[in-house]
Amino acid sequence: MDKKTGVYICTGCGIGESLDIESLSKVATKESKVPVCKTHSFYCGAEGAAQIKSDIENEGVNTVVIAACSSRVNYDVFEYGPSILLERTNLREQITWCHPANDEDTQMMAEDSLRMSLAKAKHIQLPESFVGENMVKTILVVGGGLSGITAALESAKAGYKSVLVEKSPVLGGWMNSLYKQAPFKAPYDVPEEVDIEERIKELEAHPDVTVYVGAEIKEIAGAPGMFDVTISQDGKTITERIGSVVLATGAVPYDATKLENLGYGKYENVITGQKMEELAKKGKIVRPDGKEVQSIAFIQCAGSRDPQHLPYCSTECCVESLKQATYLKEQNPEAAVYVFYKDIRTPGQYERLYKRVQKDGGIFVRGEISVITEDDEKNLIIQAIDVLTGATITTEGVDMVVLATGMVPTTALGESMVVQADPAEGTKKEETPAVEEILRSNLLNLAYRQGPEMPTLKYGFADSHFICFPYETRRTGIYAAGSVRMPMDAVSSIEDATGAAMKAIQCTELSANGSAVHPRVGDLSFPDFAMSRCTQCKRCTVECPFGAINEDDKFNPLPNPTRCRRCGICMGACPERIISFKNYAVPMIGNMIKAIEVPDEDEEKPRIVIFACENDAYPALDMAGINHLKYNAWVRVIPVRCLGSMNIVWIADTMSQGIDGVLLLGCKHGDDYQCHFIQGSELAETRLAKVAETLNRLDLDSDRVRMEQISITDYDKIPAILDGFAARLEELGPNPYKGF
Amino acid sequence: MDEVKEVSLEMRDYIVSSGADTLSLCMQCGLCTNLCPYRLVTGEVSEAFNIRKMQRLGQLGLEGFEEENILFACVTCGMCLVNCPREVEIINNVRSMRNTTVAAGFLPGGLRPIAGSLHANGNPWAGEQEKRAKWQDGLDIPAFSEETEYLLYVCCTSCYDTRSQKIAKSVVKLLKQAGVSFGVLTSDEVCCGESIRKLGDEELFTKLAQSNIQLFNSKGVKKIITTSPHCLFSFKKDYPELGGNFEAVHYTELLGDLLKEGKLSIPGELAKKVAFHDPCYLGRHNEVYDAPRELLQAVPGAELLELGRTKNKSLCCGGGGGRVWAEVPFGERFGELRITDAVDKKADILVTACPYCITMLDDACSGLEKGDVLEVMELSEFLCAASQPKV
Repeated sequence: MDKKTGVYICTGCGIGESLDIESLSKVATKESKVPVCKTHSFYCGAEGAAQIKSDIENEGVNTVVIAACSSRVNYDVFEYGPSILLERTNLREQITWCHPANDEDTQMMAEDSLRMSLAKAKHIQLPESFVGENMVKTILVVGGGLSGITAALESAKAGYKSVLVEKSPVLGGWMNSLYKQAPFKAPYDVPEEVDIEERIKELEAHPDVTVYVGAEIKEIAGAPGMFDVTISQDGKTITERIGSVVLATGAVPYDATKLENLGYGKYENVITGQKMEELAKKGKIVRPDGKEVQSIAFIQCAGSRDPQHLPYCSTECCVESLKQATYLKEQNPEAAVYVFYKDIRTPGQYERLYKRVQKDGGIFVRGEISVITEDDEKNLIIQAIDVLTGATITTEGVDMVVLATGMVPTTALGESMVVQADPAEGTKKEETPAVEEILRSNLLNLAYRQGPEMPTLKYGFADSHFICFPYETRRTGIYAAGSVRMPMDAVSSIEDATGAAMKAIQCTELSANGSAVHPRVGDLSFPDFAMSRCTQCKRCTVECPFGAINEDDKFNPLPNPTRCRRCGICMGACPERIISFKNYAVPMIGNMIKAIEVPDEDEEKPRIVIFACENDAYPALDMAGINHLKYNAWVRVIPVRCLGSMNIVWIADTMSQGIDGVLLLGCKHGDDYQCHFIQGSELAETRLAKVAETLNRLDLDSDRVRMEQISITDYDKIPAILDGFAARLEELGPNPYKGF
Repeated sequence: MDEVKEVSLEMRDYIVSSGADTLSLCMQCGLCTNLCPYRLVTGEVSEAFNIRKMQRLGQLGLEGFEEENILFACVTCGMCLVNCPREVEIINNVRSMRNTTVAAGFLPGGLRPIAGSLHANGNPWAGEQEKRAKWQDGLDIPAFSEETEYLLYVCCTSCYDTRSQKIAKSVVKLLKQAGVSFGVLTSDEVCCGESIRKLGDEELFTKLAQSNIQLFNSKGVKKIITTSPHCLFSFKKDYPELGGNFEAVHYTELLGDLLKEGKLSIPGELAKKVAFHDPCYLGRHNEVYDAPRELLQAVPGAELLELGRTKNKSLCCGGGGGRVWAEVPFGERFGELRITDAVDKKADILVTACPYCITMLDDACSGLEKGDVLEVMELSEFLCAASQPKV
């Protein structure tokens, strides 16, 4: 398209009082020769907004540069639809609010900022959205337990066809094994009849739901909006075209045979919670020797919160044991109930169930089990340390011991396979970032280059980002729900499955429009690969955190646009720089760097380029401005989609420009990572390790490039970080390439 | 390895059956222990007694709670009770645990003469029954009859103890002054039994209470004025369990109402700084906080000061739960903290409204040798001093 650029400089919010607007306008009119450059004191007001709108409609302006506040505010006011290119120059939060007014350096900062925006506006193109062939909006639900049934039913009720695949011959999953379910309703202190049958009936009666029981997923190929799913059932093969997937395969109890220390397998009257449900379902709770159970001891955290077994809490075991205690009390109100626990965890209304069991005389012992022994009549004697009296206590013989074992997600089962890139030449092993582990758990059988199942977080749960967006996984268009995502009870599973169904629906809708899903919802761009220059190094396929890119048999990357989250990590990874977006590219940033004016050495005005992650670091810089914190005026901020999209060549570009230092501001990484794209900032740090070589080759100190992890709440640390870096650069002296 | 203690469900069930209905509701958070006034003093009892742990021993029926310094330490002040997040009736649990040994005849040595006197004389102070009404000589108090509205029930302590008799006499004067229709049955009454029940002697309590109930019913008593908040507690909360249903009020409540109605006024002046000590049984146990303060403030010239811990956070004098008969070493008495607080606040008079509090605070005041700067007075005495300076 032929661009006609309009620059609109707002003088409101103190900008006009701080800067020489006339000089600033000259950057646009004289240096860049833009045809339209206007100022107004209130662009987000009706009159200002109308001025811009009128220029678009009447003057043919199609590239709008608004030099005003941060792009993180007023985005609804400055929105002109998909046919207009928009760039925002942040004069307010990052310049006038944190630097002295009418100061030479503040002015230079503003002018450079506008230059960078104009360079960017000159480079970018309107994205053309991707539209796939035969796109559908059908939701596939894998797993027919409570979560799966809920997800399929909720999708269908919202008007989306759903297909449910269940391995076993019947629907219902874990709920089928229960005598009663923990209370869903007030007064929350009485177990309820299991209601899974009604849910199954409702599901089966829904015309928009197709159910395959006794069936398995043989393969899921393709991408959101156009997955091709192969299902096998009774030796037959069925294929379904699917829009998005809900993974609801649930969890299984921890293997009690590993708990011999608690007497399992050694004494016949030590059983699991699962077995207890079975006994209760049969009627009277009796032992194998026929003795009616009059006293019982529940051992909580059997294997849970134990580094040797399951290190985590499964949240529901306490409630299940309390529920089972009522089974026995119902049978015999005089029965003795012991509960040995680490901490009783009865979140929400379950506290009432706990109180009820206490009221009924349950004996709760907090502490560690020392030993369980059996007497001649096969009664069990439990010796434990009672933390609350500080004494070792022993019970009278109890008829039965029930072990409350935790939940193991189905994604945590199966042979491990580690996805790894072939180390690039000259790369030491430790320089490659942490690899993800995928287990062959035979749930989804994805035809993905990155492996057949979901990459999992700690402990094998298919989570992605617990803090910011728990429903997302590391595979676009596949949403985990229920106890496969994290340990949860039935009520939470229903909520979780409903939420996942909503995410799955959103995904099919956005994919159909060619738009990105979370977190860049609405972004129509997707990566272009200039394949003629590809060297088949596989870095893009390996580093993509979402497994978006497949490979052909010659290792050429095969991108799947609807799997893409538009983070640009592939762009940062590509050593040949062949990957770009219409509105985000390696040369675009290069041109922004080149747009910065670098004063001569004798002017003693150093320059620092900051590559700031748009998701956390950039908002933190804005927050610093909002709080009017002061820092040096040498910095020039370039927002990036993710620090993982940083291509090493930008550092060389910056240095050869005579700029004195580069600061990378990215998210916290590690186990509790904050990155919206999982490991972007971690990848950037890994790449940075290689920069030292480049710098040495250029005869520059590697201290000139620094990386800091920062979250939005760390805004108060911004001045110390920026000024600390400036101080170090001062020690190093000016970049010797200045003026070249 | 330490000795292994055996959990005894039989013992647990026995304690529960003695009245500890809410024992199993305790979740062992320990708030009770932290709020317990024993945390403010040092000494053997403070070290041995942990109310949270005592509940725990009861829950498991474990040995170890029978030791005197543990089992008989609780002053039943109710600080833990009103703050318990699980609404555990902690004092009932204490009473029930005491009952498991007391019913078996194991009352601690120091308390045996008290129980003995209650059995023989109907009061804990070894006073003869025929002398119970001796303090009334010359006061011209009518006997309770169908013509009188209220029965004035005077605490044993104020019947026999010379210091405490002053309270009874002052209350009588004030009631007369306000024109209240009341009479007495003092010579036929016995101890209300509040403290002995707290000590765990359920049998003795029942005997005393039944005797009073029979007397009150035979005379047609409907409404009772008590001089002591302990008797008030007993009539309101214990007697209904035995079929004794009377409308009981503490004299401060009644006088407070009469003050508002204009039927009582305090003519004289007493320009003093006065601090009020809320008795546990008047405050936390019966929730009477305002009446005594209103009465104090009705005295022209009197300036009311609030102590550091006041109203529902009031610090116990140390005299409840049978502890009025305990030998507590000097330096470990709660009353001393109260006296020090009042002296620090520069109060001239520390007023309270309970005969046990008077006993404990008087002791503490003279023990600390603060008698020259602080006077301890019962509210009725203070009001009489204001209206009739010569008393």
